[in-house]
Amino acid sequence: MYVCLCHGVTNHTVAKAVAAGATTSKQVAQACFAGSECGRCRRSVRAIIEAVADDPAYAGPD
Amino acid sequence: MRLSDVYSHSMVIASDYRIADPVKVGRLLEKRKDGLAAMGAHHVLVYRSLREVGRVLVMIGVHSREPVVDLLRSRVFFDWFDAAGVEEIPAVFAGEIVDRYELSESTADLPPGVLVSAIVSVDNTDVLIAELHSAAETFKAAGVRKVWVFRAFDDSREVLILQDIDTEENARRWISQHDAAADWMEHTGVGVYPPLFVGEFLRMVRVDDPDTGETR
Repeated sequence: MYVCLCHGVTNHTVAKAVAAGATTSKQVAQACFAGSECGRCRRSVRAIIEAVADDPAYAGPD
Repeated sequence: MRLSDVYSHSMVIASDYRIADPVKVGRLLEKRKDGLAAMGAHHVLVYRSLREVGRVLVMIGVHSREPVVDLLRSRVFFDWFDAAGVEEIPAVFAGEIVDRYELSESTADLPPGVLVSAIVSVDNTDVLIAELHSAAETFKAAGVRKVWVFRAFDDSREVLILQDIDTEENARRWISQHDAAADWMEHTGVGVYPPLFVGEFLRMVRVDDPDTGETR
């Protein structure tokens, strides 16, 4: 799914950024630009951060 | 055009969110036909949740040569969400149909039943489709009349599965007592994937080609 429409960033990309260590929406924005422009996708970004924290497999295979 | 034909031979963009008045969605779409036409949309289908007040599923059929990312970046989406009063923009599914099958023996164009929509990540889409077909009789007995499977452009493991079920009662029963081939219904609502959507058809908006004036 496309999470950040401003930059065309996908769920997969955000999940990978979280798996690589990003733990806040600000860190995700720095890593992959999701949420860095209008900021209206930050709720989705936070949902992905929580999902990866609950189950690292959410980020999918490498 | 039949509802079931809208999804064929085109890209589908699906978004699932809440709005104060779902009936208003059709009027908002009618006002934005020019923008929808410019992005290549040919039909928009709107479904209203039977379980959660204000929740809608909006499916846009698009013929476009533009990359999907460029379409999603267009002002059409942002203007649409602004007009609908949606502040937090939901994740959007964009993909194409990879399987469709009809379980009803009726050749007539049946009125829309209850739509059950699930967006999930699966290990293997081809295996999923094979399992769905092998369980066709069970699905049919449960009241499932049609199944569509869409694969996301951005992730080959991500699918949108739509089931058209004859009655709301059968839909509720099927969700709680389904075949193993529909176990994916239990894996919705994780991360950005929306919870299972159970709704009714609300409106179809036809968008004519701006050049020819005909439906694409």
